[in-house]
Amino acid sequence: MAIKIKRMISLLTVAALLIAAVPAQTFFATVVTDTQAGEDAPAAEPETPAEEPEDSEPSERIDPSEWVTKADYRKVAESDTYILYLYEPRLSVMLENKKTGKVLESTLSDEKDDGTSNKTWTAYMKSGIVINAIVKATNTYQVDLLTCKNELKYTYKDNGFTANIYFSEYGFHLDVEVTLEGDELVVRVPEDSIKEDLLDSERYISMISLFPFMGYTYLDEQDGYMLVPDGNGALIYLDDKEGRYNSGFSQLIYGRDHGFEESKVEKLLWERYQTVTEANDVIAPVFGMAHTEDELAYLAVVEEGDTRASIEAHPNGVAVNYNRCFAKFLLRDIYVQPLNNSNSGTVTNAERDRTHNDLQVRYLLLSGEDADYSGMAVAYRNYLLDNKLVTVKPSDYNTRVDFLGTDREEFLIGTKAVTMTTVDNIEEIYGELQDAGVDSVLSVYKGWQKGGIYNLPISKYKADRKIGGTSALTSLIKDSAEKDYSLYLYNDALRMNASTNMMTFNAVKMVNKRTLKENVRAQVYDTFYYLLPNRAQSTLAKFVKSYTKKGVENLALAGLSDTLFSYSSQGSYYGRAQTAESFENTIADLDESTNLILEQPYAYLWDHTDAFLDMPLGSSDYMYLDEEVPFLSMVLKGIMPMYSDYVNFEANKTEFFLQMVESGVYPSFYVTYENSSALIYTNSSNLYSTEYRIYRDTITEYDKALREVAEAVGSSFIVEHTKLPNGVTTVVYDNNVVIYVNYTDSAVNVDGITVDALSYKVGEAK
Amino acid sequence: MQSMKNNRKTVLKFTAIFLFAMVLISGVGRMRVYADTPYKTYTIDGYGSINETMSAYLPVETITKFGDEALSGPNDLCVTNDGEIYVADTGNGRVIVGDIDGRLIKIIGKGTLAAPMGVFVTKNKHIYVADRDAEAVFEFDPSGEVLNKYTKPDNPLYGKSLSFQPIKIVVNDAGVMYIVCQSNTNGIVEISPTDGGTFLGYFGTNFASSDIMIIIQRAIMTDAQRAKMVSNIPSTPDNLAIDNKGLIYTVTRGDKTRTLKHLNIAGTNLFGDLDYADIPAAVTAGNHDNVYVVDQRGYIYEYNNEGELLYVFGGPDDGTQRVGLSTIITAIAADNSDRIYTLDSDKAQIQVYHSTEFTDLLHEALYLYSKGRYTESKEPLVKVLQMNSMFDYANMAMGRAYFQEENYEMALYYARLAKDYEGYSDAYWEIRNLWLKKNLVTALLIIVLIYVAVKVIKHLDRKKHILDRPRALIAKIKENRVMSNLGYSKYFMRHPIDGSYGIAREGRASWIAPTILLVIFMAEYVINKYLCGFLQKTVREGRYEIFSDIGLVLVVAVGLTMCNYLICTINEGEGTVKKIYTYFCYCLLPYILLTPVKFVLSHVLTTNEQFLISMLDMLILGWIVVLGVLAIKEVNNFKPSETAKVIALTVFTILIVALLIFIIYVLWAQVFQFISAIFGEVVYRLGY
Repeated sequence: MAIKIKRMISLLTVAALLIAAVPAQTFFATVVTDTQAGEDAPAAEPETPAEEPEDSEPSERIDPSEWVTKADYRKVAESDTYILYLYEPRLSVMLENKKTGKVLESTLSDEKDDGTSNKTWTAYMKSGIVINAIVKATNTYQVDLLTCKNELKYTYKDNGFTANIYFSEYGFHLDVEVTLEGDELVVRVPEDSIKEDLLDSERYISMISLFPFMGYTYLDEQDGYMLVPDGNGALIYLDDKEGRYNSGFSQLIYGRDHGFEESKVEKLLWERYQTVTEANDVIAPVFGMAHTEDELAYLAVVEEGDTRASIEAHPNGVAVNYNRCFAKFLLRDIYVQPLNNSNSGTVTNAERDRTHNDLQVRYLLLSGEDADYSGMAVAYRNYLLDNKLVTVKPSDYNTRVDFLGTDREEFLIGTKAVTMTTVDNIEEIYGELQDAGVDSVLSVYKGWQKGGIYNLPISKYKADRKIGGTSALTSLIKDSAEKDYSLYLYNDALRMNASTNMMTFNAVKMVNKRTLKENVRAQVYDTFYYLLPNRAQSTLAKFVKSYTKKGVENLALAGLSDTLFSYSSQGSYYGRAQTAESFENTIADLDESTNLILEQPYAYLWDHTDAFLDMPLGSSDYMYLDEEVPFLSMVLKGIMPMYSDYVNFEANKTEFFLQMVESGVYPSFYVTYENSSALIYTNSSNLYSTEYRIYRDTITEYDKALREVAEAVGSSFIVEHTKLPNGVTTVVYDNNVVIYVNYTDSAVNVDGITVDALSYKVGEAK
Repeated sequence: MQSMKNNRKTVLKFTAIFLFAMVLISGVGRMRVYADTPYKTYTIDGYGSINETMSAYLPVETITKFGDEALSGPNDLCVTNDGEIYVADTGNGRVIVGDIDGRLIKIIGKGTLAAPMGVFVTKNKHIYVADRDAEAVFEFDPSGEVLNKYTKPDNPLYGKSLSFQPIKIVVNDAGVMYIVCQSNTNGIVEISPTDGGTFLGYFGTNFASSDIMIIIQRAIMTDAQRAKMVSNIPSTPDNLAIDNKGLIYTVTRGDKTRTLKHLNIAGTNLFGDLDYADIPAAVTAGNHDNVYVVDQRGYIYEYNNEGELLYVFGGPDDGTQRVGLSTIITAIAADNSDRIYTLDSDKAQIQVYHSTEFTDLLHEALYLYSKGRYTESKEPLVKVLQMNSMFDYANMAMGRAYFQEENYEMALYYARLAKDYEGYSDAYWEIRNLWLKKNLVTALLIIVLIYVAVKVIKHLDRKKHILDRPRALIAKIKENRVMSNLGYSKYFMRHPIDGSYGIAREGRASWIAPTILLVIFMAEYVINKYLCGFLQKTVREGRYEIFSDIGLVLVVAVGLTMCNYLICTINEGEGTVKKIYTYFCYCLLPYILLTPVKFVLSHVLTTNEQFLISMLDMLILGWIVVLGVLAIKEVNNFKPSETAKVIALTVFTILIVALLIFIIYVLWAQVFQFISAIFGEVVYRLGY
């Protein structure tokens, strides 16, 4: 018996040793594969434009005798100021200013063709419409009017024409309607005209670029700039970039589509930390081109199809030597379908159905003195007002002082509350601010709900016991409203905490049916899901009902206001347009029952908010941006009050303050009663400086200074914004008030007014 | 503050880094100031993990051209005190001199230089250029005339077969050159200018590191596999810098623990193990005894004079072309107004960063603090902490400043916040001392009172039997089987041999009593782990992993019992599962009884007296082991030699079982993955 057992043990030993050797072998194998993977993987190359030229031969310069010139264009429409011409074979339009004779061309003219680009690029530049086709889910081809077989039929009407296009090789039909409506050129592709024959069922329309060369210029032939909606607004000068940039501005309107996000190779610090900050979202669907020398400009508004289109603005040197900006509509995208959890098996697919939307761009034409970014801002504001896309809201000055109630930190079992600001604390702070002469305050109270700031979603009005409970909060909101201090409750209605919620069936799934997860790399809760839009709506409705019942109406909404995605749910697919519609309906309903303010709302929500929270003041620092301009603030100043990002976390406070003066944006602070070091073990550990006592004096100083500026300005609009060569920026309002802001470190004299270094003055226009 | 960082690197990952391709671009310089930065700034907390902070440096300017002269594949730059920028413009075979506004000052060495890889400018404006392809170091005078040319030393100590391909150079005030040579693994070449160049020897040599993993790998691998491995020759410093005291900083890639070294004249490293930068490209000394290291991918690290990390910022360009992000960085320099210059050889441009108000305050505080002027440093520190209350380095300094002011309560608060164990211990010692001084008399009085009270009660008991009823109650409780078994564990602890006999023969083995002990053990284990005194804490504050702790205890208890049972039965031991479980649980009693003492001690002892706790630990462990061994022997009725064998076999079985579980887990994971792949495929085909 014993011998038998001993033998068994020795056998076992041998087996164990063998087994032990196996992982070692596998380990070495892995090391070797790692190296190979490292060498093969093109670690996150910059995204190349789809219109990658396939042939590299430069096309010959065309003989001048064969040039298509203005004589070949036919006049199709005329308004008081402009004449519209068309060259049929290329669907090329030309706009002429009747007074000056200056023109905006929509395609590259043969005369300006420098002959350095290859055939594909040349065709791209000379075609009024360019389609990107997906063939067999993996290849993309450029479809244009010069290199692809096509049938073009035109029908004319008084103020424009319709081009009926059929690309026979690909089986794509579409109509392009172009009309000149006074000083506006409208380009439209009706949804029902877009057809794919699906010849061999594998050719799809992926993207449509409408007039990708509208108002282009060659190198530095023309003074001027392109306006891009990055952050608050930025300009790309039309100077010679000497080939410095290999890509230009290319951003999806209303942010990236999280429903299509793939796991990508990220370059991380120590393989763990993302050091690059997120670029700003495109908040407004606009872009502009100004030829300041010719005094001719346009601001283009993407009116239809904006929920799935990108703004493109490429300076010279990006593939070709021309500056151009346009809108690119995305109809169908490719996505990666993983087949297992380790992502080792994947299939690339094209979306099953395309986006169904009219595509429409309205070019607001500007000439003379209006042909600059101030003119664009004014034109856009008038456009918004005329089309009832915004209504003027009272824009009385408030200093925004936000509070954090509670967050959670881990404890023996589960979590415990870290209480930062209670209802009593807020009362005390309000009292102090009032004594210090702060007449009105707008506050957003975050983390007021039971379970702390990240206990999401919030389905009923129930305040955390630690901050004082629901009834105390209710009476605080009511009492402070009487002294013009309005407290809004913060609700991120989009996010769902994965640790406190098991309801993944309520969570948004991406196009590839994987649950959309937002990983936040934080201490306590690290994953958040997005609620399905209809669930978000019902949760919000329930919440608001229990809320308004108590007579409380102030609501600050986040999540729905600054996120847009495609998603799939129970086998069906929903596009960004549907999501946008759903969110807009939800928010419109809320707007009726509450006093609603939105966090960084996208343009289609502007009419539903009483204030614009977190207005960006800068840009995303792209190298090809030459100047930052407060475009959005110029548009919205006087329409609704705008509040800045938090002053606390700005490293250069003086400059930030001056930017607020310049753009008419009101200051925001994020404060807590307790010292922020208490947050060290919570998800909010990135709030490294919030203690109220530290900011008390700054709040009152900012309030005094900015309230004075705001009172001088009242509810008037900005009409002119200029950066003078001496470093002073002047902002003219339509009530004749001028604000001078000096960003230099020495005093400067403007219009007989001396503006101190790093300071500002309020004056009267002459 | 101790720097800790998890394993995160393999040499092999470097290959991936070189793949970031970008089209070469050039252009003119222009000036802009940015409010926001496209990168985040991080700092290190007391645990060595990372925290976001306010921007430390803002990108201010990008220089792509001096006058009309563009750069081509530049490799090094040097900035003088008067603001002249010297760039080793490798691709154009020259050194170009300009200023921060992009003005061209002069061009040096055109025609003389083949591949200038390194440049250094001395205080009297002599320019030293390390030319790799000309295999020489050139010394130019300020007008650009060649003064000296130093070629390969003929000293046999240099190594006959070694080539001389200088790529980086610094020169000290005496004119001694420290040269990094390509493919020379001996170290930094030190050459004195006397006699047209005298080889002084190798300096700052690194040593080959071999960790236990590599040793095991080598032992197991075949020759062929071994040949495939990266050879284990010491990595040479890749770049170097000199500070105003003439001390040398070096950075080394591929070195796991000492990427940055601060070498004194003798070549001894003054810094501890620093492994923050993955692929350090260059190093430079700042104006505040600080030092900057730049990673090839664009991460910029700032350290203080003790090699503690203050900031990390910047980073690789992810293709979005944002200002301040980089492609391939080859050099870094700092000027005397706290501007940092980085040279991007791929973008052929110089990026200039300027310190923010926050950083200026920190530098001021650092300076005062490093000079020991703690109290003075408090003013800037308070401001720094107002801007970032979680900046642990400032918290630590603040704690020390309060300590010097004898405000021990505040010192304690800040030391704990900063995880400054030394400061915490010192402050605590003082506080305890004060407490003792104040309360010693009262404490003694209380002890005396208790003593008297006990005496009185005992006396009364003897006279009037006042304690009879409680005594009867206790006796009654003791009659309960479970209670009596629990009580027996105490007997077992003191008399293991007799106790074991009881377990084996007298029916003292049971399930309930040992389980109660095990539960108490778990509770004490968890409480002691998370709530013990700060100085004894082995886990991070704010981190709790209770379930895995309890799971671990359970797995160990069950595993030990089962494995021991298996081995005992086949060795004809007399233990049953119940008996074995009982004695293992009873063995834990020393821990259960002594841990409360340890727990209390951990709250009242400072670092100096920690040995008491260590001794207690030893006592507990020793006692448990003795109990365990004796129990195994006695309960199973083994001879000493049998006992030893059984223990060894038990340990071995545990290892095997662990391995088996691991293998089964791996196999199951495969099966699971296979099933989920099929499921995924089906879902995909069905279109749901």
